[in-house]
Amino acid sequence: MNIEEKLKLLRQKKAEARLGGGEKRIEEQHKKGKLTARERLEILLDEDSFEEFDMFMVHRSREFGLEKQQYPGDGVVTGYGTIDGRLVFVFSQDFTVFGGSLSEAHAEKICKIMDMAMKVGAPVIGLNDSGGARIQEGVVSLGGYADIFLRNTLASGVIPQISVVLGPCAGGAVYSPAITDFIIMVKNTSYMFVTGPSVVKTVTHEEVSFEELGGAVTHSTKSGVAHFACENEAEALRLTRRLMSYLPLNNLDDPPATQSDDPIDRQEEELNRIVPENPNKPYDIKEIVKRVVDNKEFLEVHENFAQNIVVGFARMNGKPVGIIGNQPAVLAGVLDIDSSDKGARFVRFCDAFNIPLITFEDVPGFLPGKDQEFGGIIRHGAKLLYAYAEATVPKVTVITRKAYGGAYDVMNSKHIRGDINYAWPTAEIAVMGPRGAAEIIFKKEIAAAKDPEKMLAEKEQEYREKFANPYTAAERGYVDDIIEPKETRPRLIKALEMLSTKKDTNPPKKHGNIPL
Amino acid sequence: MKFKKILIANRGEIAVRIIRACRELDISPAVIFSEADYGSLHVRLADEAYLAGPAPALESYLKPERMIQIARECKAEAIHPGYGFLAENAGFAEKVAQAGLVFIGPPAEAMKLSGDKLDARRLVRQHGIPIVPGSEAVASDKEAKEIADQMNYPVLLKAAGGGGGKGMRIVHGDAEMSSALRGARHEAKSAFGDDRIYLEKYLIKPRHIEIQILADAHGNCVYLGERECSIQRRHQKLIEESPSTFIDQKLRQKMGRAAVGVAETVGYVNAGTVEFLVDKNRNFYFLEVNARLQVEHPVTEMVTGLDLAKWQIAIAQGERLTFTQEQIKPSGWAMECRIYAEDFENNFFPSSGRITDYREPGGPGVRVDSGVAKGSEVSLYYDPLIAKLITWGKERVEAVARMKRALTEYKIAGVTTTIEFHTQVMENPRFLKGELSTQFIAEEFIPENIKYPVEPKELELLAISSALVEFWQTKKSSTPFFQNGQHKSNWKIQARQTALRNFP
Repeated sequence: MNIEEKLKLLRQKKAEARLGGGEKRIEEQHKKGKLTARERLEILLDEDSFEEFDMFMVHRSREFGLEKQQYPGDGVVTGYGTIDGRLVFVFSQDFTVFGGSLSEAHAEKICKIMDMAMKVGAPVIGLNDSGGARIQEGVVSLGGYADIFLRNTLASGVIPQISVVLGPCAGGAVYSPAITDFIIMVKNTSYMFVTGPSVVKTVTHEEVSFEELGGAVTHSTKSGVAHFACENEAEALRLTRRLMSYLPLNNLDDPPATQSDDPIDRQEEELNRIVPENPNKPYDIKEIVKRVVDNKEFLEVHENFAQNIVVGFARMNGKPVGIIGNQPAVLAGVLDIDSSDKGARFVRFCDAFNIPLITFEDVPGFLPGKDQEFGGIIRHGAKLLYAYAEATVPKVTVITRKAYGGAYDVMNSKHIRGDINYAWPTAEIAVMGPRGAAEIIFKKEIAAAKDPEKMLAEKEQEYREKFANPYTAAERGYVDDIIEPKETRPRLIKALEMLSTKKDTNPPKKHGNIPL
Repeated sequence: MKFKKILIANRGEIAVRIIRACRELDISPAVIFSEADYGSLHVRLADEAYLAGPAPALESYLKPERMIQIARECKAEAIHPGYGFLAENAGFAEKVAQAGLVFIGPPAEAMKLSGDKLDARRLVRQHGIPIVPGSEAVASDKEAKEIADQMNYPVLLKAAGGGGGKGMRIVHGDAEMSSALRGARHEAKSAFGDDRIYLEKYLIKPRHIEIQILADAHGNCVYLGERECSIQRRHQKLIEESPSTFIDQKLRQKMGRAAVGVAETVGYVNAGTVEFLVDKNRNFYFLEVNARLQVEHPVTEMVTGLDLAKWQIAIAQGERLTFTQEQIKPSGWAMECRIYAEDFENNFFPSSGRITDYREPGGPGVRVDSGVAKGSEVSLYYDPLIAKLITWGKERVEAVARMKRALTEYKIAGVTTTIEFHTQVMENPRFLKGELSTQFIAEEFIPENIKYPVEPKELELLAISSALVEFWQTKKSSTPFFQNGQHKSNWKIQARQTALRNFP
């Protein structure tokens, strides 16, 4: 073979590998509204930035006639590239080859880029579209899964890991995305479940569709498994890029700062009027968030799950921050099982990756009820408390209205290492709402009164005036200052700048024992 | 007497207009506002602002006692009612006077006579001025039907207590009468606190032309030319102009004198408007007196060069008119488009929300009287008029050309407005010829004929192409992978330090 022929052979082999399962299967994939593994990477990564590994790797199975079906690459495209010029490692499963099923070789390819990512300290983004284990390979395939799970776990908190689920992801396979930091799904074309509808039917006799059991909507609203649900694949991949713009490459680096054109001293008159005079009237906490952060840009995480707490990313003077806010517009912003879990996971992610936290607090307490107690609200509420207490990133709190009872302590209070805690003049920092407090403190007087309702109202008013304000807490230093709502943005930016070199540690330990 | 402070008992663009007049006269403007109007433009521009009450007008802008109380507290000498709300409420004017304050508007007596449409009709008829055939206030559905039968349908139901299209209904036959009457009464009650309704013969395709008058307290009264206000929907004016293409000098004089006659009959003082309907044979019929400064007053200001809002204050201060009828020489052509927060593609359905972006037009011959700014909230509590765009030109053609240009410059985002509608009117051949009637919109803007500024299909293409452009722009890597050949990484530094520590 002369050099010309050798080059020709290389080109031919590469072209073959790029075709995956062949044109017919690619067409089928397109018909389903899905893109191919390589098309997806084209959208995800910067133009011409993708560098591929292991294009020629094939499976080693000699059973069931598989030895006659060899596809170079073996159903997964792996390598690295850049997003906004920043390094990321990627794997993209190819449904056109053996339904994207995971073989020993397929798993090795994924492990290779994960190991590399852990060496250089760069995120791993997985585009999942796989029918599951390569059954013909048996236990070897299961071993492959476990190799990935282990790496996911060891990488957790070291490099950001994002899973974009773009097709089926069932059985044991779900646990790789489950361990990663973010799961992004696409409506109608992707689904995740431990056991599929047919098994569900055999075991519990429930009739349920794929979409209902494990679709993007289900997981982004009911189960909270997915952090984002997108309309189509392009949107999901674009969202991944947007999400990456807030994340550092690893747990030692700072999240990426940009130049902000939003003035740091911008005051928002409207904030002075945003909290209604009637403490029982709801308002949208996101309206506050948008007015405070740079250019009103807020990437909400878990937008449709446990909506009584709002979490997401934004920037302050160009630097990424994590925002957690109680949402008075949903269930009065009360903390329940799901919202505690949601909040805790987000706080821990930000803490792991050096993203400062801003907490907007308007919380009437924990949700009472049998469902909640039986479901372990104690256990789940404790997660949020634990996450906040353990976090060592800069932590800033703004109490906009209610900060009642234990929930006050939980929501990044000064006592659990809140660095800067501000209150608006509308804040009510107390053990409970004025009515409930009056009922307990003045129980006898109210019972003895001629007109108990009137007496209760009087006592409620008395308590309200005495305690439903931020001044008692400020006298103790539990809040650092009471600020005018309109100056929230400049005050928070100054606090965050001051805290940007903050150093705080936890005692050495293997790991804490968060109440899971 | 010269006022030092005036309380403006109104909101929106008219409050802003009066604040401007106050500023020019070196009078301190104080305003009132409802809970829905915190931080609205008139509140921001005034020297002082006082909370009148909750958002519903009945609990805030329509509370006479509260106005007087605020005026006293802030030590204002006079109250300007603007238009709408309490402007034509004679009882309010009386109470203001009793409280020792000046009401900037006609005397309560004149207002009663002219404001009560029925009394006005009676008086005017006595003085030989033609009126549209009509009835007294009707007591029952039955009575209304009988009168309507005598007059022949269609008839118009009108509120005795006030104008502005509130409580007005066209009735084409007996079957519609009951519900129309009920609706009209309800509307009139909530707008004017007076549910008396009377009937008028509904003229087919008349023009709505009105005469601006100005009368001082010393017996001088002049007319300031006419305004053509035929372009209406739901009996509310949308576009006004002065002069009218339909009125010649002779008719103008005749109508002007009739208007002055009406004013003198009722003892009118201050700025007012006498409205007429004019049929195709140029016969005119007295319609009513508007005892207030009208929404469309700027077009008269533009052609006469007089500042009506300032003259209102001057007259209330007891000053004399400094000019005679002969000295009033209108020049050029003025046109006003009312910018409503309404969706004309959807039958002028009110659109509420926050104005997210706002940019006013400018340049020669353009005037904007606006009550909003970027960030303003347009609520459903009040009239959806957000601004008035007025242009002036040497001839009508120039006024129209400037209006067209100004409309394209006017950017309001966040709420749907009538800007696009006005643009289409400015291109309408019938409008350009000046062939107007009160049926203009009904005839020219039937749903099938509405031009959409962007076809839905085009919109889709636009969306796709802009998405593509955005996509390719963001795909270009924005920051270099390595900066100055150096890769600053805490990860790398930390690894090197650890390696050194572990070195034996």
